[in-house]
Amino acid sequence: MKPAPTLSTAFLHPAGQALPEPLLALRKQRGAALVDMPLPTRKTENWKYSSKYLKLTDEMASSLPINGKAGSALAVPGYKVVFINGMVIPEACEYPDLNNILIQRFGDLSDAEASELAERLDSTLDKKAVQLAGLNSARFEDGLVIRLKPDAVLDQPLFIIHEVTAGHSGSAFPRIFVDAGRNSKITLVEEYISSGQEAVMVNTVTEFNLAEGANVTNIRLSMDGENVQHIGATGVLQQRSSRFESHCVGFGGPLRRHDLQVRLEGEGAECKLNGVVVTQGTQHYDNHTTIEHVAPHCDSEETYRNIAADKSHAVFNGRIHIHQDAQKSNANMNNKNLLLNTGAEIDTKPELEIYADDVKCAHGATIGQLDEESLFYLVSRGISRREANVLLTMAFINELVAQIPVDAVKDTVQTHLNQFFDQTFQEA
Amino acid sequence: MATTEQEVNELIKREYEHGFVTEIETDTFEPGLNEDVIARLSAIKKEPEFMLEWRLKAYRRWLEMKEPNWAHVGYPKIDYNSISYYSAPKRKEDMPQSLDDIDPELLRTYEKLGIPLHERAQLAGVAVDAVFDSVSVATTFKEPLAKAGVIFCSISEAVRDYPELVQKYLGSVVPHTDNYFAGLNAAVFSDGTFVYVPKGVRCPMELSTYFRINAANTGQFERTLIIADEGSYVSYLEGCTAPMRDENQLHAAVVELVALDDAQIKYSTVQNWYPGDENGKGGIFNFVTKRAACIGKNSKVSWTQVETGSAVTWKYPSCILRGENSVGEFYSVALTHNYQQADTGTKMIHLGKNTSSTIISKGISAGKSSNTYRGLVKFGPRAEGARNFTQCDSLLIGDRCGAHTFPYIESLNKSAIVEHEATTSKVSDEQMFLCRQRGIDPEQAVSMIVNGFCKEVFKELPMEFAVEAGKLLEVSLEGSVG
Repeated sequence: MKPAPTLSTAFLHPAGQALPEPLLALRKQRGAALVDMPLPTRKTENWKYSSKYLKLTDEMASSLPINGKAGSALAVPGYKVVFINGMVIPEACEYPDLNNILIQRFGDLSDAEASELAERLDSTLDKKAVQLAGLNSARFEDGLVIRLKPDAVLDQPLFIIHEVTAGHSGSAFPRIFVDAGRNSKITLVEEYISSGQEAVMVNTVTEFNLAEGANVTNIRLSMDGENVQHIGATGVLQQRSSRFESHCVGFGGPLRRHDLQVRLEGEGAECKLNGVVVTQGTQHYDNHTTIEHVAPHCDSEETYRNIAADKSHAVFNGRIHIHQDAQKSNANMNNKNLLLNTGAEIDTKPELEIYADDVKCAHGATIGQLDEESLFYLVSRGISRREANVLLTMAFINELVAQIPVDAVKDTVQTHLNQFFDQTFQEA
Repeated sequence: MATTEQEVNELIKREYEHGFVTEIETDTFEPGLNEDVIARLSAIKKEPEFMLEWRLKAYRRWLEMKEPNWAHVGYPKIDYNSISYYSAPKRKEDMPQSLDDIDPELLRTYEKLGIPLHERAQLAGVAVDAVFDSVSVATTFKEPLAKAGVIFCSISEAVRDYPELVQKYLGSVVPHTDNYFAGLNAAVFSDGTFVYVPKGVRCPMELSTYFRINAANTGQFERTLIIADEGSYVSYLEGCTAPMRDENQLHAAVVELVALDDAQIKYSTVQNWYPGDENGKGGIFNFVTKRAACIGKNSKVSWTQVETGSAVTWKYPSCILRGENSVGEFYSVALTHNYQQADTGTKMIHLGKNTSSTIISKGISAGKSSNTYRGLVKFGPRAEGARNFTQCDSLLIGDRCGAHTFPYIESLNKSAIVEHEATTSKVSDEQMFLCRQRGIDPEQAVSMIVNGFCKEVFKELPMEFAVEAGKLLEVSLEGSVG
């Protein structure tokens, strides 16, 4: 047997020393743990369907330099932070200077603040399950920390634009850490975009800590180009009566992988996870979600929809884990998939792992195609076949798109969906 | 339970006929596994050359394999060199001499299950005298089977008498490279059942290991091969509801089913091996590979299982639906109690056009047990119009048990449709209240509710089996309430 390939040492040389000492130390320590890390293979359970899409060449190991400010020009209906190639661009950012909401770059933190942060980085993630997110911890060159004091409410959504400029091969490691205090409230929009043509990797980690009663909405829009391998991890820790809402909308690429891990640690915490994935051509998208019910009386609701066209490949793996003391848990997971062409592939695995008896848990998964009879009904009323296809496909995901709470994001999603419809459904 | 007398009769006759002591020096091999052991095993069984080669090939490959660890079960490491790989059936003098020597706990269980007195002795492995002399076995089942042309014998006999059939089909569904335990089984399988139903024949009776007495001593590495030729039908029952006394801790069986055009196989299992005591000590490890190949058009295979025994169960009866319009079914009830662990489910691999499959799985966990459903539904690119429906429900009794579901669903075909549903719940207070209010005691109430929960599966079992399965659940659940 061939020995499993390990992570090339080329990836273990972080650039950018402009960080406070505690963070540099953390980075070094995390890097040491990655020496000889085996890369996922088909036999790696949580990379079973995606490992063959992962192509890390040594050319991609270097950090991308900062050049160009394309993303910074983007107008957004709210506050804005711009990352280019993993670095925050202060001059492109627009957000108010508030007493109770602190938005800071990692590089601007005092040593005391940085060492406090270093303690808490990675604490929301199950490191074993997100092996490749470890790379972010070893390589991040900058990051954003958002701290909401108790009762602080950000009045407009905060847009975080992540852009990679792929002038040449390399990687970017943007990182966000959110600490939402008691009864605070924020809507955070992450948009991932790219320019340039060379093969690059974006490796992101976003972490949320929700104190009692905090309310966080996270929208994640993945719109990177065909040259970008995107590996992202989001970790969420929820205390008593907090509420987390996530909307992930993703368009495929050579490799798209997102791990979303939520731990409900306080009684009465609640989370709602929505996801829409659209793939075409030979694209790939893989969503892995985990919801851990640690405390009793928590609710979770998860709805993911995948659409795969042409020869593309969409993967969903949802796991609900109810711990022994999490009585009266309520968990619902639903994954529906639309396979538009033979040749495309959908793999789904909705898992339940339950150790408490007084719970209500259900999951459902389906894979199917557009209903011929519905198509016929529409066509027989004079609607063109293409239009009928678009209507029915849109209907499949509209429920989720309509729930996105920021209108501007909804419009962006619709624009991308229309492009997808144009390429997928030709006029007969 | 209707044929004990025949069995007993046959048991006695067998031992008498073969003697088992003549040619070999010892009845039991020294513990350990190597190529010599396999060669000796093969020689004792008088197997043709090809069988020995097949076994050795499997063994060499097995040495390179790793024991799987992905299942949601934990058990102490097995030392494969501490197991003896051949043991001739025991002679009468070595067995317990009367029911007085048997664990009273076991006898009480028999009583609850309503097993007739004379059967209890046989099940407990007591040496029985020829008291119940009766109708010859040959007239009751061998004759009608022979008349219909059905071959029903032990696999050792089949290897000698029907080598061409065995060579063609053995390992064709579960190759020795398939997994660790299947590899081990291929190298050292002790005995098992062979069934061949010829073209167009509807097997005149339900076949059962129960009829064939050497099945009581097939040892730990059982191998079953059932071939249903074009247009034939066979129903096969494996196991029995009464707990069997068994000294082997590790069981690694392989079952292969082959269905040709328009053939139909119905395979029912009731498994109730020793699950270990209340503290989780002892108990049997049951690592079984069961798979059916629906090669022919319009063929159908249906698996029905009721699992209440074994300390650790690792078992996935599967169907490869290759033939057009072929159908696979899986109905399962798995009950775990005390410290039992079950990781069971099915695989439905749809390769042919218009193939369809149904999966109904009911898991019940009580005590400190863990019960896992693990399944795969896969549609290949050529599985036009294929269809699957899966429902797996779990019922939890007590707050220290676990119920898990790991369904894998993979689709490569646009016109295939799959639906999967799973729920987890407990016996609700309202249901219990309703029963209690009507004067039903809690234990009976739970048993009633559980029986209702499993109804969909029980109705697929042959009738006598279904009645017994119901009773079996009742006994297995004892002590889980209050």
